[in-house]
Amino acid sequence: MLVGAFACAHTPQLLARPESEDRDLVLRVHAAFARVKRRLAELRPDALVIVAGDHIEAFFLDAVPALAVYAGVECAGTFGPYRYRFPIHEPLARALVAQGVERGFDLFYTQEAPLDYAFFVPLHFTMPDPAVPIVPLHVNVYLPPQPTPRRCHEWGRAVGEIVRARPERVVLMASGGMSHFPGTDRYASPELDWDRRLLEKLAGGRGGELAAVGGEELDQVGNIELRTWITVLGAVGDAKADVYCYEPSWHHGNAVVEWPI
Amino acid sequence: MDEAHYRFPPASAYRLNRCLYALKSDPAFRARFLADATAALREMGLAQAEQGALLTGDREALVARGAHPYLVFMADLRLRMERGQTTFEYF
Repeated sequence: MLVGAFACAHTPQLLARPESEDRDLVLRVHAAFARVKRRLAELRPDALVIVAGDHIEAFFLDAVPALAVYAGVECAGTFGPYRYRFPIHEPLARALVAQGVERGFDLFYTQEAPLDYAFFVPLHFTMPDPAVPIVPLHVNVYLPPQPTPRRCHEWGRAVGEIVRARPERVVLMASGGMSHFPGTDRYASPELDWDRRLLEKLAGGRGGELAAVGGEELDQVGNIELRTWITVLGAVGDAKADVYCYEPSWHHGNAVVEWPI
Repeated sequence: MDEAHYRFPPASAYRLNRCLYALKSDPAFRARFLADATAALREMGLAQAEQGALLTGDREALVARGAHPYLVFMADLRLRMERGQTTFEYF
């Protein structure tokens, strides 16, 4: 059953806390993450399905999956001094692959691939204690042509249906966003107004409209990673988002959101 | 509409992107690069101009040749982290 749904920023500076960042802003995002962690303790999930965009870490140009499910025993990732390892909820991962394929999604699956920081930054801050196993769902966001927002929404709706029919208590979490342009000359000028308008829409329960946004628009406003949010939106339907925080830094719109189920 | 920030990586830039990916995600290659950049780049079968742009960290030249902007960004960051040129856990 689906018991909760969230979206979290995964800006690596939130973890690494370099000198370039505004300390108070980072701590406010940490406080929002702490709120998610408390909610997860209340929701008592048996598994956390986390939807993130690979930052060309698990997959390179030798094989570029549009939508992938991590169905191994465990997954591990590193970023500088940080090292993470998480057990996978294998029965749920297998159900998502098998039933996803059954429903017409030509999914890619992996039993071993490095875990990208897009997965472990939110988990670092929000994983309840004791920890629960995860199922990483990959959405290609950085290697064009990416899956369309509509396809991500459809996949999310299927994920929601599969999870709702399962015996486990499952939380869905999107990792990514909001506006940022890493590696481009726009890094220091994210599209914060676009983010704010979108958060208003989500708070009004109009997240489904995102399925109709074009991939070009997401690229232009620095929100290619919103495909992960759109996936979760496919599962939550018209639920009105509770925006825990929107903290725009000089390079990144950091948001934390819950959709009540 | 402006040109896309992230484009379909041209096949001609495969080796260049593979090298950037190794700098970003392969600690052993990154160590070889930091020890002797020219020798490390020789392993990757790159054109002379690509090697030059990598050695000088010329982002625009790399992207113009088809390098993925995110790979350029993160390869550079990982090298700076390794050289101790970034601060960690400053607060």
